Amino acid sequence: MIVPALEHLGYVPQSPALYDGLSVEDHLDFAVQLRPGFDRSAARTRLDQLGIPRGTGARSLSGGQQAQVALALALGTRAPILLLDEPLASLDPLARREFLHVLADAVRADGATALLSSHIVTDVEQFCDRLVVLGVGRVLLHERVTAALQRHHITPGAVNGAVSTFAAADGAPNSLVVGVGQRPATLEEVVLGYLAAGRVAPKVAA
Amino acid sequence: MTAALTWARLSYRQQRWELILAAIGVGIVAAVMLFFANELRGLQAAGPDCVGLFDYPPSCEAIATRFAETSDTAQRLLLLSFAAPFGMGVILGAPLVAREIEGGTVQLAWTLGRSRVGWLLRRITFVALVTVALLAVLALSSELLAAALAPDRSLGEDFLWSGRRGWLIVARGVGALGVGILVGAVVGRVLPAILGAALIMALGFTAISMGQDAVLRNEVEPQRVAMGNASGGVDPGALVIDFGLELPGGEVVTWQEAQERGLIAAVIDEEGRQFASAADMRAGRVLGYDIQLTIPGSQYLPVAAREAGVVTGLGLVALVGTALVVSRRRPA
Repeated sequence: MIVPALEHLGYVPQSPALYDGLSVEDHLDFAVQLRPGFDRSAARTRLDQLGIPRGTGARSLSGGQQAQVALALALGTRAPILLLDEPLASLDPLARREFLHVLADAVRADGATALLSSHIVTDVEQFCDRLVVLGVGRVLLHERVTAALQRHHITPGAVNGAVSTFAAADGAPNSLVVGVGQRPATLEEVVLGYLAAGRVAPKVAA
Repeated sequence: MTAALTWARLSYRQQRWELILAAIGVGIVAAVMLFFANELRGLQAAGPDCVGLFDYPPSCEAIATRFAETSDTAQRLLLLSFAAPFGMGVILGAPLVAREIEGGTVQLAWTLGRSRVGWLLRRITFVALVTVALLAVLALSSELLAAALAPDRSLGEDFLWSGRRGWLIVARGVGALGVGILVGAVVGRVLPAILGAALIMALGFTAISMGQDAVLRNEVEPQRVAMGNASGGVDPGALVIDFGLELPGGEVVTWQEAQERGLIAAVIDEEGRQFASAADMRAGRVLGYDIQLTIPGSQYLPVAAREAGVVTGLGLVALVGTALVVSRRRPA
């Protein structure tokens, strides 16, 4: 059932489309009307801390500020699960960092679970507990970030039994292996390795 | 109250220009209608015996001419009140949901809210109320203008300018608004929705008119037409559905049916009797009586109320359809 599930979800889309002509405060009013129990005061506090003027037209804000408004609206629902669909994709590094700090603080304070979809692996490494790599329509890897970093290593060249072999930044082949290798893999290399595995052998689950 | 104001503000800001355009348009048309109604009433007061008559004394020439000229222009205004409900359905209805889908704001609304249908109902309310209010102004002013145009007729029992005056305009507006909203929700883009809604409304209106014509054909009453009488001896407020012949045996046939039977009238006398030829006329062999198949003027209110019920119901059905579309549609 969709409706009961929605009660437990907060959502931030990739490109938060706020209402043209409505101020940020109007958006909070709107959220209060749509979502019984919406925590307007928490959302206000969050926006004020970020210096986002609540009387300003929402569409005249910068992309980062609009994303923060969308996040404040999602967090204001007090939903136990937050879905964030690539909200960082169009943000500059500073806006991204601020967004993730706000998210992490709120999640810690509320005890909520955030499911963050992102292509920016460094952000995932710094802010997420668990990593899920999706490819070819399947889950290719699902484990704690710390475990993924401990378990995977890189060995130059092609290696039998490796998760996959993929081109490193300098173009040389690197193999992602589970267990002992030449050096520990970075999280980006773990993700690259599983994505490459998914492309080469889509039938083989990691 | 706060909730209503929030939704009104949202709706107004989402469709500011369309609402302003509709309000200004209706305001101007209503004001011009009332001006003309006042002009016509003034002329009628200046010469009560000079208007609404075919023959008037020479002293009435100036007033009668002025009344006729003013009437010509005023009757064109009534065409606007015919078009207004469809126009408002297109410009206010079609973008209502389409703009939210196109602009992506439904993602925000649909994920914040627990019920998309609840969102839809609250989102529609303000625009629907404005539409009804504006069309009510137009309905009233068009009725006043029609009354001034035809001071000698009782318009509550008269099909004259039916659909261009009175509360039927409001009902058609509700129907058109519902259809416009549905098309917008299905199409999901503003411009194609506007074009699509205009096309569908034109086709829908044609279909309803044909349906109504078919229904009314079962309810017609034949009225003999006497050529010697200025009004033809028929109810001037009646709605003429067709023309035909009343055969000597009492059977009523339309002209088309008469032609199919080979009953071709060539001569008619002042009493409306039709003859196949001059020789038949001299011999007294009557083919039939000239008749009009009409809905009497006394049936105006029931017929208008029935159409109002149908188009309002159509609008409500369209809104139910919109609710289904909105419930199942992906937000982008």
